[in-house]
Amino acid sequence: MSSIIFSAMARLFFWAMLAVSIFILYRGHDEPGGGFVGGLVAACSVAILALADGVPSARGMIRVHPVILVGIGLVLAIVSGLPGLVLDASFLTHQWLEFPNGFKLGTTMIFDLGVYLVVFGGFLSLVFRLYEEVS
Amino acid sequence: MSLIALIFISLIGSLVAHRVALYAGKAGPWLVALLPAFLFFSFLGHAGAIGTGEVIFERIDWVPSLGIGLGVRLDGFSLLFTLLITGIGTLVTLYAGAYFAEYPAKKRAMFLFFIILFMSAMLGTVLADDLIMMFVFWEMTSVTSFMLIGFEATKPEARKAALQSLLVTAGGGLSLFAGILLIGMTLGTFSLSEVALRADELVASPYLAAIIVLILGGAFTKSAQFPFHFWLPNAMAAPTPASAYLHSATMVKLGVYLLARFDSIFASVPAFGLTLVAFGSATMLIAAFLALRAIGYKGVLAQSTVASLGILVMLIGLDGYVASVATVGFILTHALYKAALFFCAGTAIHATGITRLRGLGGLARFLPFTAAAAALASLSMAGLPPFIGFISKEYLFEAQLESSMNWIPVLVAVLVNAVMVAVAGAVSLKPFFFNRERIESVKHGETLGLLVGPLILATLGTLFGIAPWLVAQSLVQPAASALYGSPIDVSFSLWHGLTPMLALSALVVALGTAIVVYWDRLHIALRRMRWPDRLLGDKGYHAVFDGVIGAANGSTRFFQNGDQRRYTLIVAIATIALIGWAYFRSGGNFAILATGGPILIAPTALLILAVAGAVAAARTQSLITAVVAVGIVGYVSALLFLMNGAPDLALTQFSVETLVVVVIMAVLVRLPTYAPSTRTAGERRIDIGVSAAFALLVFVGLATMTAEPLDMRLTEFFSQRSLTEAYGHNVVNVVIVDFRALDTLGEIAVVGFATLAVWGLLRRRRPANATLARKG
Repeated sequence: MSSIIFSAMARLFFWAMLAVSIFILYRGHDEPGGGFVGGLVAACSVAILALADGVPSARGMIRVHPVILVGIGLVLAIVSGLPGLVLDASFLTHQWLEFPNGFKLGTTMIFDLGVYLVVFGGFLSLVFRLYEEVS
Repeated sequence: MSLIALIFISLIGSLVAHRVALYAGKAGPWLVALLPAFLFFSFLGHAGAIGTGEVIFERIDWVPSLGIGLGVRLDGFSLLFTLLITGIGTLVTLYAGAYFAEYPAKKRAMFLFFIILFMSAMLGTVLADDLIMMFVFWEMTSVTSFMLIGFEATKPEARKAALQSLLVTAGGGLSLFAGILLIGMTLGTFSLSEVALRADELVASPYLAAIIVLILGGAFTKSAQFPFHFWLPNAMAAPTPASAYLHSATMVKLGVYLLARFDSIFASVPAFGLTLVAFGSATMLIAAFLALRAIGYKGVLAQSTVASLGILVMLIGLDGYVASVATVGFILTHALYKAALFFCAGTAIHATGITRLRGLGGLARFLPFTAAAAALASLSMAGLPPFIGFISKEYLFEAQLESSMNWIPVLVAVLVNAVMVAVAGAVSLKPFFFNRERIESVKHGETLGLLVGPLILATLGTLFGIAPWLVAQSLVQPAASALYGSPIDVSFSLWHGLTPMLALSALVVALGTAIVVYWDRLHIALRRMRWPDRLLGDKGYHAVFDGVIGAANGSTRFFQNGDQRRYTLIVAIATIALIGWAYFRSGGNFAILATGGPILIAPTALLILAVAGAVAAARTQSLITAVVAVGIVGYVSALLFLMNGAPDLALTQFSVETLVVVVIMAVLVRLPTYAPSTRTAGERRIDIGVSAAFALLVFVGLATMTAEPLDMRLTEFFSQRSLTEAYGHNVVNVVIVDFRALDTLGEIAVVGFATLAVWGLLRRRRPANATLARKG
């Protein structure tokens, strides 16, 4: 499937969807969204690239091996539970930092990023493997 | 030093020992042996306090929410075991260093690592007061035993024997685990000492029979009691140092240890003692019989070990305090002489390369010190004065005569002990002193490392016989008291006067001498028989083993026949059956909520669209049309979620639907656009029936569930807490990442592992195959 129009649009969509996926991940805690949906959208963005330009160029675009993404995601999710284990003696009890201006930062963000990466990497491996067979 | 610390030193020490053995060359084993020696003297330091009846308790919380802790207890009985484990462990380390002298350092280091690791596991098991901790270490001994039996991994029989011993002992361990859990359920504690205090509650429990059977399952498998007696002789495929340590002196006695611990708890259950006497006696007889038939040097020793374990199990089953003294005395005696004999057997086999007992002879010329050690040890085994074996045999007969059992166990014991006397003669006199013509030369002589172990053990066996007061008050008395449950006075001495026991001993020695004189003829006559192989071997084990494999193969062929439709059909039917069963079990109510309101236009239109999509998917022959049609159903559900206030679900559903189309397209590209219908009319009817049943079930379920008043407690809880405690407005997301974070972690771990599997399974075929496939 080599079409210049599709290929050019795919690049645009790739960046747009990747940005949207990160936005979905970020807003998840207060608005609809979160790591799971974010990861799905991110996987979609790369899948479009793979569909348009083939798997090698999509791999080149994200550089990291999808299975490694899964691993990093799992590690992040586990690590995000450690502060709770130390401070509260309870694994995965999330800890929060509150700033004077009302801005809050919690370990939930790290956990959700882990979910995002696992889903992203997981679907990506599926997509890559299946499309590799085709081309 | 704290007991828990000693266990951890031993565990960590195994890793250090591996490094030391790897890089320290010839001195390696001697350095490694410092660790068990250090532990031996640490435990010996407690002997004084334990001797006065003190019991040391320590406890660290491990899983406090389940009431599980690292609880350890050192009393007289566990002290005896720790001293045997670390003392013989020291000698085994030295012996193994010499035994594997010609092996590569890497292999020798590996062996020493497993030996020290095994020692740690043994210490953990006998020190544990917490039953869960005991189970963990118990299974660890099974696993290290597996590694050691299969140490010569290139030999098929070693691998087979290792697997057999693992399946039997670890399987028995699971039975023990079930028993422990039942005890925990009944009493609400896993502490062995507390269980002992509340024994009457346990005996009154409705689970009593199950608990006893399960614990016996664990003990009988570990200690190779009938009908599990077959694995121990097969385990002789292990290198001899491992056989001496695991399969005679220590690990196989764990079953005995467990039974001894539970003996006082189940003292008021007559069937418990009776079962032990019955199974112990059966094991003794069978093993004594098989010892006469065994061909290999180690095989004869192994069968006599099984017989000894039978004696111990029988002794525990007997009542009276003499039985406790006899048990403790025999554990000590047997460990001393049997380990020594295994060492001697190992040296003889190693020096000649001959494993058959009847192929060896006149080795005293080449291995004089080994021969001396073998002679001393076998005299103790034969139960002759002034060796410690004599004292423990006197106690054995006294325990039987004092107990309330009838004369049958006495008869069995006389017969079996006569065979033991004969085995003692056959394994020391014959290979070392008689039949000089059989061996002309040996490959190598004795080295210091090969001699330390057997000589020390044989000397101790003699010394403790001549001077029994060395161990009577310090070791035997506290151990027997701990076993009996109250302090008892032990007169562990050589001369008891002219007693019935002495007469029985004399009878045993006379019978044994007769057997050893006619050993070869008896052996050949017994080898001619065919029925023992069929009845007493491991045929039953193989039947179970092959049966399981056969059942697995059969079910795999049926369920996993490679046809995707069959898989789908099985999953669908199983789901329908399970849910349907649960539905009718819970009363089979059907209700439908009639709201009576006006028909809502938008949802109705959407639902009609979904039905149209479903019908199109079922009817079409084009795969692409089917994908699109199923996609319509998915999008409609997403829209319905959106309209009913679940934007998160809707968003996820949209993304999943999109991705599914993208992924399926990749598969479809390689498939023909139109799939010719290969389903027969009959198959299609079954498909339709299953689909209709599934749809009906979902409809009934959904209608009934929504007719119930909605329980809002969880919803309210999460809506109230999500902002105050988790600082999030989006309740769904807060539940996922915070309240139920552990669930989510489990789920993403599953996604991760599934990814790994997919990555491996869908690996691109090798280029050679790919070209072939393309040409074809």
